[in-house]
Amino acid sequence: MALVADTHWFDPRAPRPDEGRAADAADLASRLPHVVAQAREVAGSVVHGVHGRRRAGAGETFWQYRPFESGESAHRVDWRRSARGDQLFVREREWEAAQNYFVWVDCSASMAFKSSLASDYKIDRAAVLGLAAAEVLVQGGERVGALGLTPALCARNIIDRLAAVISNQPPDSGVNDIAPSTALPPRAKLILVSDFLCDVEELATRLREYSQAGARGALLMILDPAEESFPFAGETLFRDTDGGAPFHAGEAQSLRAAYAERLAEHKDSLRIAARDAGFLFLLHHTDRPAAEAALALLMGLGEGMGAR
Amino acid sequence: MGFAFVAPLALLGLLALPLIYWLLRVTPPAPREIIFPPVRLLRDLEPQEQTPVKTPWPLLLLRLAISALASLAMAGPVWNPAGPAAAGGPLLVALDDGWAAAPGWDRRVAAAAGLIEGAERAGTAVGLMLASEGAAAPELTDGARAAEHLRAARPKPWLPDRGLAGAQVKAFARAHKTARIVWIADGLEQSGAAEFAAALREAGASGAGVEVLKEEAAPLALEGAANDAAALEVSVLRAGPRGDGVVEALDDKARLVARAPFQFAGSDKTKARFDLPIELRNEVSFLRVVGENSAGAVALLDSRGRVRRVAIVGGAAGDVAQPLLSAAYYLEKALAPFTLLLKSNPGDADPVLAALADRPNVLVLADEKVAPGEAFEALSNFVEQGGVLLRFAGPRLANDPDDLTPVRLRRNGRVLGGAMSWDTPKRLADFDGASPFFGLAVPADVAVNRQILAEPDPGLSAKTWARLADGTPLATFERRGKGVVVLFHVGADANWSNLPISGLFVEMLKRICALSNEGAADHSASAPDVDRATLPPLRTLDGFGVLGAPPATAKAIGADFPGRGDAEHPPGFYGVPGAETAVQTLAPDDSVRAFDFSKFELSPRPLEREAAVRDLRPLLLTLIFVGLLIDWLVLLWLSGRLRLAAGVTGLAVVCVLGMSINAHPARADAQKTASSAHDRDAALKTRLAYVISGDARIDETSRSGLETLSRTLDQRTSFSPGDPVGVDVARDELAFYPMLYWPINALAPQPSEKTVARVAAYMKQGGTVVFDTRDALTARANATPTPEAQWLRELAKGLDIPELEIVPRDHVITKTFYLLDGFVGRYANGDTWVEELPPERANDAPRPVRATDNVSAIVITSNDLASAWAQDKSGRPLYPLTPGGARQREMSLRGGVNLVMYTLTGNYKSDQVHVRDLLQRLGQ
Repeated sequence: MALVADTHWFDPRAPRPDEGRAADAADLASRLPHVVAQAREVAGSVVHGVHGRRRAGAGETFWQYRPFESGESAHRVDWRRSARGDQLFVREREWEAAQNYFVWVDCSASMAFKSSLASDYKIDRAAVLGLAAAEVLVQGGERVGALGLTPALCARNIIDRLAAVISNQPPDSGVNDIAPSTALPPRAKLILVSDFLCDVEELATRLREYSQAGARGALLMILDPAEESFPFAGETLFRDTDGGAPFHAGEAQSLRAAYAERLAEHKDSLRIAARDAGFLFLLHHTDRPAAEAALALLMGLGEGMGAR
Repeated sequence: MGFAFVAPLALLGLLALPLIYWLLRVTPPAPREIIFPPVRLLRDLEPQEQTPVKTPWPLLLLRLAISALASLAMAGPVWNPAGPAAAGGPLLVALDDGWAAAPGWDRRVAAAAGLIEGAERAGTAVGLMLASEGAAAPELTDGARAAEHLRAARPKPWLPDRGLAGAQVKAFARAHKTARIVWIADGLEQSGAAEFAAALREAGASGAGVEVLKEEAAPLALEGAANDAAALEVSVLRAGPRGDGVVEALDDKARLVARAPFQFAGSDKTKARFDLPIELRNEVSFLRVVGENSAGAVALLDSRGRVRRVAIVGGAAGDVAQPLLSAAYYLEKALAPFTLLLKSNPGDADPVLAALADRPNVLVLADEKVAPGEAFEALSNFVEQGGVLLRFAGPRLANDPDDLTPVRLRRNGRVLGGAMSWDTPKRLADFDGASPFFGLAVPADVAVNRQILAEPDPGLSAKTWARLADGTPLATFERRGKGVVVLFHVGADANWSNLPISGLFVEMLKRICALSNEGAADHSASAPDVDRATLPPLRTLDGFGVLGAPPATAKAIGADFPGRGDAEHPPGFYGVPGAETAVQTLAPDDSVRAFDFSKFELSPRPLEREAAVRDLRPLLLTLIFVGLLIDWLVLLWLSGRLRLAAGVTGLAVVCVLGMSINAHPARADAQKTASSAHDRDAALKTRLAYVISGDARIDETSRSGLETLSRTLDQRTSFSPGDPVGVDVARDELAFYPMLYWPINALAPQPSEKTVARVAAYMKQGGTVVFDTRDALTARANATPTPEAQWLRELAKGLDIPELEIVPRDHVITKTFYLLDGFVGRYANGDTWVEELPPERANDAPRPVRATDNVSAIVITSNDLASAWAQDKSGRPLYPLTPGGARQREMSLRGGVNLVMYTLTGNYKSDQVHVRDLLQRLGQ
């Protein structure tokens, strides 16, 4: 018999007496200092791991010497290095052109969820990851903004500014579980953090839009371990966070296999949609350390897209 | 027999069951609600298993059962209810409370309590009438008052007259026509049973309901205990069919001396006979029938009942020609019924020395002169050591008096009456109060023809026990050392007077012989003006046949008190210690007869059936509780909040709780490894230990008591013990503890044989066990032992316990650290017993301390030591002391320190007290 977790649902909207289901952003605001601190910590631990763009380009920092290729203009030869031998070398600097990154953190109701198996709310984790990525990127010399809310910025206190913007979204300003359609600068990079428990078709359409606008990026799917393993048993009434019709299960444990299948399908279709739009698809569970996901995200952004 | 309901209307609640059934059927248990974001993934899934909409039938059944039980419980079911009250009339319980009711007293009281409870339940008034309070009209009260009255009632050591009570019953029945009268009878015919039964019959005729309850077993009684020269005999009487039994003889400290069986062979009277050496028989202070706890089944033996060893010297040698006229023959005839006569061998060189060699209590010299020499020395010594020397005058003594006489004698006697004298033979004067003969009737025909006269020295009258009518002494005495010399101024044959052939002579000899064991308690000498006319009560029997302090209502008896005890003179010992006079429960020729109830158309029911009224409500409530628990668990399980395994565990817990609260959970083997760690700790540090008694309160007291003692030892001595531990004698290794404190918990089960063997081995290896029966308040010397004492006796059967004695003042245990008189605890009156020391050798110089080579393996106290030691964390004592005071607490701690130091140092201190002498010797 599989382990039936003693799950409990912790209502993130509890401090707020009004029953608006989309009003969890304010709750995020109350936990903001914690989220910000966590984001700095994650960013701090990740920054040591990822330095620069790791490819040659216009920049100040030395990148590598490479053999001179015929046809190149002679002024590129680094004579100090070449004088040491017979071969001519060209000194390359690291590519340092700033790029525009946009972070989007899903603040919909489904994100304000936590099971007893996890340590964090999904929305907290999403915010931590989004903000940490922004910090690391800004330190790497990029410009980062909140998708649809701010232009791309290059500020030292990027975490605070983005956190303020994200948490101050008016509750009824169409907080959606799909990233907003918005005008993007060319070659923008998008970091979309959400649980993506949305309509895949809609999401695919939106991603195609981005892709056509020349944007690339990554989808980071945040899932609670309970959502992954479905640790429920017995007669259960499942209520939707978005106010949809509840689902009544006579024997919850009998649904586990079917649910796992459904979830795998959903993830597959997400992955395909992302791939088609040239986006990276990453999965993170809230019972794992945040730094792990942040590192994967940044490495993915650096390598997966740098080749193009 | 059977059921009854206190509130049958509550059973209407059962009518609601169908409604409950319907409600339960339509209301399934609510599902568990969970907020779950990915519901949309589930949404089009078809659940494979659907919960039944209706409550499952076992649950339904369970809940219906719970509801039914609830209404049953509210109706107040009672099993075996007491019989219904007769038409709502008041109830009168007449309870016989003489000694004959004592054997089944608990059952009688239980039956009466059951009746009173039943009446209270029925709401009728109750009256309780004790036979001993028959003079007062019974008072009708509510059940609580009557029950209180009943609890205060105790059987009396005499038989109250029921004739008075009968009159009260008649009056009661006249006043209350519908009354129900229950007589809990003792079944004896004596003391007015017939009158009472007649009153009951009359009451029944006037409309009252009359019932009689009676104990099945007929009472037994002892009477006429006689300790004569051959054996100690006592008559056992029975009032009705009764099997054979055993009579036990006990000494004045209630220690068992001997047991003798008796058989009723058809008759209602038989004898129990103790064939014992005379010394043992004289130790016997009272006899009782084993298992028959009533005053009637106890026979007391006072100092008059002891058999003396008597040797007679003289009077025979010269009169062999006419042995039937010799003084020795008269003396033998007079003494033989109540003493053990030691036969003298005519061939002995010195008859006095030969007689003394037989260790007599009384030596009779009939007209025998004792010349200075070896025999004189031996006789003087004999008297100094407590012997009674009884001398009779005669021609030889009159010619040449010696020094072993109470008074100086004149040569030649005087002749009263006869051919050569004008005087007539003299009569005896009445005995005065200071004389041991006081109370004996002086027959008018006793006359004295000839006597030896005493020199009229000062103090002569104080030395005189008996006089002639003219005031000249007939019997004189003198105390010498512990003994006494008595001289009859007449001969022991019929030549000088006819006293020796009167009944008075035998009585006088009896009283003189009774003097022989008084020893140091010679009241006549120390308090010459003590009034022999009245004897104050010393120790009296209660209804259960237990000797104790006399009640406040007991009055002194006259010296001529006739036999049977009554309300004012309860049976028991009267007088002063050492010279008690016994007042028996039954007079010598009393008999006990069963009362014939059928003559009065009464049919007694046996008592047993009245027992076991049982309220079933607690049982039902327990069942309901268990049912609700099961229901809760099932609901949890149905909604998936409970894993099956946890459910089974929960059920098991419920079962364990519900069924066997007192089951002793066996400790798992896993404990074994833990106990070795426990042992290692114990081995590394010397510490005090107590035996876990099974009662949490006692154990906590022991622990905190020993903790305080350990602290005290640490502060005051060089021994700093570790924290005290509780040990389980059945499992833990005992070898590490020098001393085990064992508070007796009478409710605990007896340890197994194996455990007892472990304790015995521990004691043999040099450990000391301090048993604390904690019952000094309730224990009495010769009463039935308290449950704790009984428990300890049971335990001691498996232990090899040596002779014990109360701690003597020179025992080393009183000197190991502090100089103590005794070991007090929470109580100060209990004795402390240790192994007996070897007796002091007579020729040794008196030593200040005595000790053996090893430590007493057992110390028994009843003073509840640990409670006196116990303190809480802030040093405040936990229990009040009796009689109390800071000094007692301090002394209890000192006693504890001494105990521990004794177990640790043994006889070391007995050497220490000589250290001053040793140093002096070294200096020389």
